[in-house]
Amino acid sequence: MLARAQIWWTVFTMCVAERLAYRGDFVLGTTMRFLPMITQIFLWTAVFASSSNGTMVGFTRNDIVAYYLLTMVARAFSSMPGLASGIAGQIRNGEIKKFLIQPIDLIGFSLLARMGHKLVYYGVALGPFALVFYLCRDYFPGWPPAEYMAAFLLSLVLSFLLGFFLEASLGLAGFWTLEISSLLFVYMLFNFFFSGHMFPLEILPEPWRTWVGWLPLKYLAYFPAAVFLEKIPPEQLWQEMALMGAWTLFFMLLSRRLMHAGFRRYSGYGG
Amino acid sequence: MHRPNYLAVFWMFARNSLIRDMTFRTNYIIEVIFGVSWALMNLGFYTLIYRLMYADGDGHANIAGWSQYQFFVFIATTILVNSLVEGFFMANAEELSELTRTGGLDFALLKPIDTQFLLSLQRVNWSAVPKLILALALLAYSIPRIDGLTLSAIQFLLYPLYIVLGTLILYSVMIGLAATSIWLGRNQSLYDFWFYITNFSRYPMEIYEGTFGSPLRFVFTYMIPILVVINVPAATLAKPLSATNWPLAAFAVFATVASLAVSRWIFQRALMSYRSASS
Amino acid sequence: MSVIEIHGLRKSYRVYQKKEGLLASFSGLFHREYREVNAVKGIDLTVDKGEFVAFLGPNGAGKTTTLKLLSGVITPTAGEARVLGYVPWERENDYRRRFALVMGQKNQLWWDLPAQESFQLHQKIYGIEPTAFKQTKDELVDLLGVAKLLGQPVRELSLGERMKMELIAALLHSPEVLFLDEPTIGLDVVAQHNIQKFLKHYQQVRGITILLTSHYMKDVAALCKRVVIIAGGEIVHDGSLEGVIDRFSDYKILTVDFADDRMPSDLARFGEVRELAPPRAKIEVDRNQIASVLTNVLANYSILDVSVEDPPLEEVIASLFALTEKQQRDSQDANIATTAANVAAAGKN
Repeated sequence: MLARAQIWWTVFTMCVAERLAYRGDFVLGTTMRFLPMITQIFLWTAVFASSSNGTMVGFTRNDIVAYYLLTMVARAFSSMPGLASGIAGQIRNGEIKKFLIQPIDLIGFSLLARMGHKLVYYGVALGPFALVFYLCRDYFPGWPPAEYMAAFLLSLVLSFLLGFFLEASLGLAGFWTLEISSLLFVYMLFNFFFSGHMFPLEILPEPWRTWVGWLPLKYLAYFPAAVFLEKIPPEQLWQEMALMGAWTLFFMLLSRRLMHAGFRRYSGYGG
Repeated sequence: MHRPNYLAVFWMFARNSLIRDMTFRTNYIIEVIFGVSWALMNLGFYTLIYRLMYADGDGHANIAGWSQYQFFVFIATTILVNSLVEGFFMANAEELSELTRTGGLDFALLKPIDTQFLLSLQRVNWSAVPKLILALALLAYSIPRIDGLTLSAIQFLLYPLYIVLGTLILYSVMIGLAATSIWLGRNQSLYDFWFYITNFSRYPMEIYEGTFGSPLRFVFTYMIPILVVINVPAATLAKPLSATNWPLAAFAVFATVASLAVSRWIFQRALMSYRSASS
Repeated sequence: MSVIEIHGLRKSYRVYQKKEGLLASFSGLFHREYREVNAVKGIDLTVDKGEFVAFLGPNGAGKTTTLKLLSGVITPTAGEARVLGYVPWERENDYRRRFALVMGQKNQLWWDLPAQESFQLHQKIYGIEPTAFKQTKDELVDLLGVAKLLGQPVRELSLGERMKMELIAALLHSPEVLFLDEPTIGLDVVAQHNIQKFLKHYQQVRGITILLTSHYMKDVAALCKRVVIIAGGEIVHDGSLEGVIDRFSDYKILTVDFADDRMPSDLARFGEVRELAPPRAKIEVDRNQIASVLTNVLANYSILDVSVEDPPLEEVIASLFALTEKQQRDSQDANIATTAANVAAAGKN
């Protein structure tokens, strides 16, 4: 067990180090993340300028801005750039073999690598995030009650895991199809529109609103933000949290199944 | 042997890319479908917003002076320019950092042909074509629905010209970014960076106003001229011609030439650094 | 007539000095240390038209860097070079149309397309006349026996088949100078042999100048009369392959078959005993003493058979590489010039 933990720790530190090695990349990427926010604020200011009563579907302009900022926090946890395509790429070029030989598990390795990347990211991004949130503090209605705050924090952790296992499952589909990029594009598209990344899901008319409510995607961006802004009624809060946990578990199990089936298929070919 | 005919070489790029796309037919079709649905969903989003604006009962809806169908022309222009950029340049810029990492760049440097030409155009992405058609269809749908707009022949002539200029500006930004990836060794976030920068161009420049908006508009119009890319052609077609627009229209021409020159310079510098830093 | 002339060619570059550990990585975000790597430390070389020269050397010796310098992919830190009268790193298109570079570990063909499409692209890029193109292509395809594979996507070809296609692509414009970087790496023996045969034939017929780097001594022995050994960014030997042995091995191998199974027990006094399988013994004998040892053995023992051989080439080169590497480690910081002379001298101690 100790030996195992040691392997994991090594992998983890290695990934952190690797991430830091490309520093130009890194600082650039982190700073850039805040740019779209600016256009969103301007766009919604222009939209609300045309509206006479200052609210739309229960959101004021300030609510919308706060919402976007919060989805950025959620996406800092749930987005997994390069994960699925990385796994699919490894499958395609045969690098995946090393997980057949070495005493280390593909998903475990990727999860640690991702945690390493994320932690480094938070380390650097914390400053800019804090600054932006401080500058934008007037857009926020204030801190939510403790229960909502707890749910918010928990939902962030879950959104990381959900995002990870969901994308890992997509990447592992690379065992079955040569070109995974289109599948990823589909995912990206749906994610962009139906995770709430682009707009609060309340804007959708029925029946879309209900349908999108059933998808797991909303937990990646919309849900944590909606919890913070108390847009989820108290009686539904923990029910939704449980649902989010269930989706996470589902994708965790799915990715494991896919990995084992994929390796069986892969070694069956003779590599 | 003699100098290569650049047009013939480009034709070969286009042809080979088509052969490649057709080998991965399913993939191509999926890419087309989702490229188009991406554009449609975007359109849907703005339709929703305009509907919400109408719903509040005061009977008018506009975003910074753009009525719904004017804004649709704006969106069509965005799709048009983006499909051109994606069709010709995007895949190549993405590949550039990959080439640097794998050393494939070495081969490009050996060829008796302009390296920037080779690296900018060797992949043509044919799946951008349907999006281009979609954009034209959206134009045809929206233009007649704009209240009180009569188009002159000049507008029809200027529009394609400014589309080309806009495409070239975006290309310059893109290849400039891609070239910096040679400097940085690897650049995963190139794609993000590109997205974030061009994100500013996807909205009418009039929304950038006020204490923060005005300087922003200034920077992205005159320093990194991406606000010119969509706004100038879209306004040419969606709004009546007006003498007040001419300075910006003239500037767009200058901006294109300047961007191309700067990006060329960055590209050459990046190659130089690759040549001296690599073993 | 010399085709390649190199004087004092040097290439150094900086690499980011990564430190061990997590904390160090963080500090790497803000402050970086670089290390100067001297890939090529002053090379002088002249190659005549029609020569087939092999570059040998351990990994990281500077072979590939030299080829890249000569093809103008990278710019040197100092020194001069002319290939076909051109300075490579000026990258004139006229020059680029007259040479080719093939790298065994990288491919330049479009991965997802049949090789013939890439060939056509080359025709356009190099501006090759259609008739000349067809003739050259058919000839090369015929020589390498890949006619049936032309229509198959490159990704579906075996490594050996792919290498043949890479060679065709590189030779379509009939280069006068060819740089080959590990062209047979990873290939099986048959494929290696085919490539060797082709290169030999092509070089003889066309009389082109070829510089080849390889790890496989077989490649070199089969193809090149002249061998340039590079170690630590410098040339340590330039001459024939046989010359390598004369110069860098200080012993010969004496094989003796004793009669009546009566082997002397003190064979070690003649030299290091490498193999003992009575009645046969293999002994490493110092070059200078071979005559006296031989006389001694013949005079004092009854012998069935005896032979004196040079040590295998691979062995000599391997020990030479090991030696230069060790020297480099020893003189890493001190600025000692590791010259060919002291490498050779150290080899004799």
